[in-house]
Amino acid sequence: MSIDWITVAAQIANFLVLVWLLKRFLYRPILDGIDARETEIKERMQKAVHAREQAEETERAYHEKVQALNVAQSEMTETIRKTAEKQRDVLLAEAQQKLEREHASWQTHLDAEARKYINRMHSAGAGALLSLTRKALGDLSDETLEARMARHLIKKIKPMAPDLRRAAGQASVAIVTSHEALPAPVEEELTSELRNLFPQISLQFETDTNQAPGLVLRVGGAQLAWTVDSYIDGLDALIEEQLAAGSDNRVQSHER
Amino acid sequence: MNLSPDQTVIWNAWGFPINATIFYTWIVMALLTIASILFTRNLRPDVPPNRWRTTLEVIVQGVQSQIAEVAGRSERHLLYYAGTLFLFVATSNLLLVIPGFEPPTASLSTTTALALSVLIAVPLFGISSRGLGGYLKTYLEPSFIMLPFNIISEFSRGISLAIRLYGNIMSGAVIAAILLGVAPFFFPVVMDVLGLLTGLIQAYIFAILATVYISSATASPSMPKKESQ
Repeated sequence: MSIDWITVAAQIANFLVLVWLLKRFLYRPILDGIDARETEIKERMQKAVHAREQAEETERAYHEKVQALNVAQSEMTETIRKTAEKQRDVLLAEAQQKLEREHASWQTHLDAEARKYINRMHSAGAGALLSLTRKALGDLSDETLEARMARHLIKKIKPMAPDLRRAAGQASVAIVTSHEALPAPVEEELTSELRNLFPQISLQFETDTNQAPGLVLRVGGAQLAWTVDSYIDGLDALIEEQLAAGSDNRVQSHER
Repeated sequence: MNLSPDQTVIWNAWGFPINATIFYTWIVMALLTIASILFTRNLRPDVPPNRWRTTLEVIVQGVQSQIAEVAGRSERHLLYYAGTLFLFVATSNLLLVIPGFEPPTASLSTTTALALSVLIAVPLFGISSRGLGGYLKTYLEPSFIMLPFNIISEFSRGISLAIRLYGNIMSGAVIAAILLGVAPFFFPVVMDVLGLLTGLIQAYIFAILATVYISSATASPSMPKKESQ
């Protein structure tokens, strides 16, 4: 057993060379690779952390947006509700107004129909009254209603002559209007009598089917009517009174 | 019978005898270098690691973790040194199974060289770590009376390392040779298998002891000492 110091020196040199070679070709590439991979993993983890933070930030922003949208939706819903309520009120008011207008129109129409009906009733009543009166006069005294009305008109006019002359003023025509054309003797009698009272005024005879049966004298600004309107009104009042009494009786019988 | 491969001269180069120790050392060096180049030639960060790369990384990281466990910290220079010691001794011992191959570690010159390198490396690592004054101060600890004992201790470490490695490897080779003459068909195989195991253990022990010596020289006083197992 001996030590060859030249071999020892050579082996030390060999070992140092081997250390350098392995450092160059083995350790450094592997350790650098490990370091690079560790660095890459660290970077990826940092990126992952960053991405996670970004995702959390995005999530926060999303939640905030959702919250804002919810608030906006609530506000919008409230606004829409208020607008709808306002619109409903407006529509209701318009409908109410329309209903009132229609009701008023209907009432007007009803009133017009009532007036027409009353007019028809007046005409029918007047016609009936007139025919009855005419028939009674003809049967009892052998005289026509028109002749009797004309004489009565002359009788009524005579005391009022001064007043009528003042009302006539400068008028030169007096108009006698009747529901139907007067018989010729009646017209002649009226003409002669009125000429005695108003010599400067000429007389005209006209017919108006809308007018109540009777005679109406118009001279200047004055008008003197001798019709059956007051009798018809009295007849209406009588009928209404009888109808009211009848309805009261019916109500009482129902109550019993 | 030559007990040491130093006495076997392979050839003379420019009047300088190249003995078997140096020759087989070059073979081991070439083998390790070529293998390293082959294994690490495609080692790029953008290439996914394959089995070889993973195996190498496991080995290197294993060595690194062993060093870290012994030294208490992981130093690249210590890894280069102790790792090379382990790989050189282990490869030399494992190549014992190849017929005709004489492991360089069976030469006292090689083990002496390795022990001397450890002896030189200890103060160099110590000085680089603590500075010259700090390192020399360790020889006076715990008091200046211990100076001669510390010096003797440093040298005895190297000698024990050298003799330990040489004795184990050389004895294994010699015993295998003797048993080959006695019972050529059975014992050599058993001894070779045993030699592989003891060779690896010796490589591990040699590298660990070197690491322990170097780390004891480089350890800072404030660092807590690890409990020896």
